[in-house]
Amino acid sequence: MWLYLVILLDDASTSYCHYRPHPQSLSQSGGRKSLMPIDTLKNGIRFGMKENLMIQFVYPERPLPEEYNEVVESIDHSKIKLVNATTPNPSFPKEGSKDADVLVVNEWDTLPQKAEVPIVIRTSKDDFFARYKEIFTLLANAPRVNISFTDVEAFTEADFETYKNVLAEIGKEVERLFVKGKTPQLNLLTDRMMLTQMNNCGAGDTTITLAPNGKFYVCPAFYYEDEKDCIGDLEHGLDVKNKQLYKLEYAPICRHCDAYQCHRCIWLNRKLTLEVNTPSREQCVIAHLERNASRELLANIRKHGTFMPDTEIKEIDYLDPFDKREEW
Amino acid sequence: MERPWKEGFSKSITFIVTKDCQLACKYCYLVGKNSKERMTWEVAKQAIDYILDHESEFKEDSVVWEFIGGEPFLEIELIDTICDYLKTEMFYRNHHWFNSYRFNFSTNGINYHTEKVQRFINKNREHLSIGITIDGTKRKHDLNRIWKTKEMEQGVMPRPEEKHGSYDDVIKNIPLWLAQFPNEGTKVTISSADIPYIYESVLHLYSLGIHEVNINCVFEDVWKEGDDVRFEEQLMQLADAIIDGGYYEDYTCSFFSEHIGKPMDKVQENQNWCGAGMMLSIDAAGNFYPCTRFAGYSLRNKKPIIIGNVHDGIDKNKLRPFLTLDRTTQSPKECIDCEVASGCAWCQGENYDAADTPTIYQRATAICKMHKARVRANNYYWNKLYRKLELEGLREEYEKSKRKVKQEIC
Ligand code: SF4
Ligand code: SF4
Repeated sequence: MWLYLVILLDDASTSYCHYRPHPQSLSQSGGRKSLMPIDTLKNGIRFGMKENLMIQFVYPERPLPEEYNEVVESIDHSKIKLVNATTPNPSFPKEGSKDADVLVVNEWDTLPQKAEVPIVIRTSKDDFFARYKEIFTLLANAPRVNISFTDVEAFTEADFETYKNVLAEIGKEVERLFVKGKTPQLNLLTDRMMLTQMNNCGAGDTTITLAPNGKFYVCPAFYYEDEKDCIGDLEHGLDVKNKQLYKLEYAPICRHCDAYQCHRCIWLNRKLTLEVNTPSREQCVIAHLERNASRELLANIRKHGTFMPDTEIKEIDYLDPFDKREEW
Repeated sequence: MERPWKEGFSKSITFIVTKDCQLACKYCYLVGKNSKERMTWEVAKQAIDYILDHESEFKEDSVVWEFIGGEPFLEIELIDTICDYLKTEMFYRNHHWFNSYRFNFSTNGINYHTEKVQRFINKNREHLSIGITIDGTKRKHDLNRIWKTKEMEQGVMPRPEEKHGSYDDVIKNIPLWLAQFPNEGTKVTISSADIPYIYESVLHLYSLGIHEVNINCVFEDVWKEGDDVRFEEQLMQLADAIIDGGYYEDYTCSFFSEHIGKPMDKVQENQNWCGAGMMLSIDAAGNFYPCTRFAGYSLRNKKPIIIGNVHDGIDKNKLRPFLTLDRTTQSPKECIDCEVASGCAWCQGENYDAADTPTIYQRATAICKMHKARVRANNYYWNKLYRKLELEGLREEYEKSKRKVKQEIC
């Protein structure tokens, strides 16, 4: 069932997830950076209202014309914006990002020290391994921190090992904060503790994206990769072929999995395995390292007292459910 | 000592040695056939080295090295070099496939008698399976299996009077083939226009001394209104002829199998049908495919699915969808609930080619009405045969000695 509509207000809207923010495909086709026409925006909002969808607007870095702001405010929504990248270590909020509901950080040098809204940090694995400690202050001073890797496919066996150690280090800090009575939220570690079932990205299943060209896409990444790869348009409505394949029940590996916090990125699935319902090994191992680190964290927090007594994350002997396929 | 041949646990590795063929069969799925792409020895050797270097990733007990085209025997010299190299390397490396391998060919039979092919056969006889494709009677065979003309390569189709069938050129090699491989079967593919010839063709193949006829309907959406009825009639006639003529004792026809036409359990019987992904195909450019049907020349509508190449090896991520594919995830509800589901086959490559999106997870069901017609005729066959055997007091004896029917689909 559709629940969310992501509206890309501009071709240069920020990325808030794994895909590239400045799409090569579009810049190659004439460096186009077009704003969504205002009528398209109005029609998109009308579509969202009729379908009862929660709308998320994704903003470009440059300001929108005033009349757009009025249209945007005509519906309940959330705003995804880039943190302003003007000064090193800016304190939040900067002019223009003030009213964001989610703030995206693309450069570590622009990481705020505190925030009143969730922060998404898009990072390469190497930058994360080098600078993960920089999130510690923010963890204590923001309602939520999400880490989104921009190079999942590049993880090597050695990186998995490093990631495991890094997660353990961050776990210690999260534990320390919990003991101090704080409730930090970090997608990599705390989500799995709170979840009892899959909570994935939902692209193509619960979430669809409207691009500036008036067409629908599974997620922004599909638009930036190939504009022709749409799933309908505002004029004719949605036309999602093989819609079932975006659902968990139709994902043979994921439906056997309990790394509930995993993004289960549909776009990376298709990119790396050629099927929207099949994850790469890299995605699974990363998610399981997080799952296991969450398990460890839960046990460590409990050493200090009762904590979520009904939650159990079992010990498992695999990092990739694919390896257990004979047992399904 | 030679290890016993383990059919169920064998890896199938296919070299697409050429895309050329002397014939231009109408139903040939190889839509991109051409005479330019021939595998070089260098590519073949790189592929073999990669495969044998990665023994731990190819754990199957045995291996079938397949050679297909186009027409593989057009490249007999290359194949001979490949096979010599394979044998030597498997031996030197003490590879677990040494002495547990076969070389398989599916040929149009035209060059079968030539000196080079015969020399190869004599050299490798113990490890060889060769299937020659004959479609049935002359008129049936020549309907589809015609010689290619120069003009056809330029895309100009011959007029009917210019079409030259290949039956006579193949049939002359059948006695030699059967003398060398008396237990080999032949493969027959049925498309809409072939339906009226099924009965006569199977009997004709029996009369040539071929005991095993592996026959199946194409998976493509070619069926016309009423084809299922005509198909069923042909199979009923064939059933009568096989039973009344006593052929069932020594001959098989894969259309008739006791195991088809039953409902299937969603959990216990959830395996994928086709072996794509467990197999490996290599083309002239050195690309790897999960099966030949995913190579560009086999596809009408979709991009090839390349899962690696001889330089970089296999991209295991691309194999994951194939290795986790099951029956119910790819089947529509009508197939899951079908009362006669067992034996209804599919080809992953055709599923992919016909799908609404680039996925292997959408089962094509063009064959549905043909399968149902087959099930009806099949039920008739077994009811009639068992009644006959019971009346003759021979049922038990038949059960003990019956030939196994191969469920061949590709
Ligand atoms: S499919 Fe989902 S997780 Fe992947 S890039 Fe798109 S929105 Fe992000
Ligand atoms: S870890 Fe792998 S199997 Fe589990 S949800 Fe994520 S992608 Fe799917």
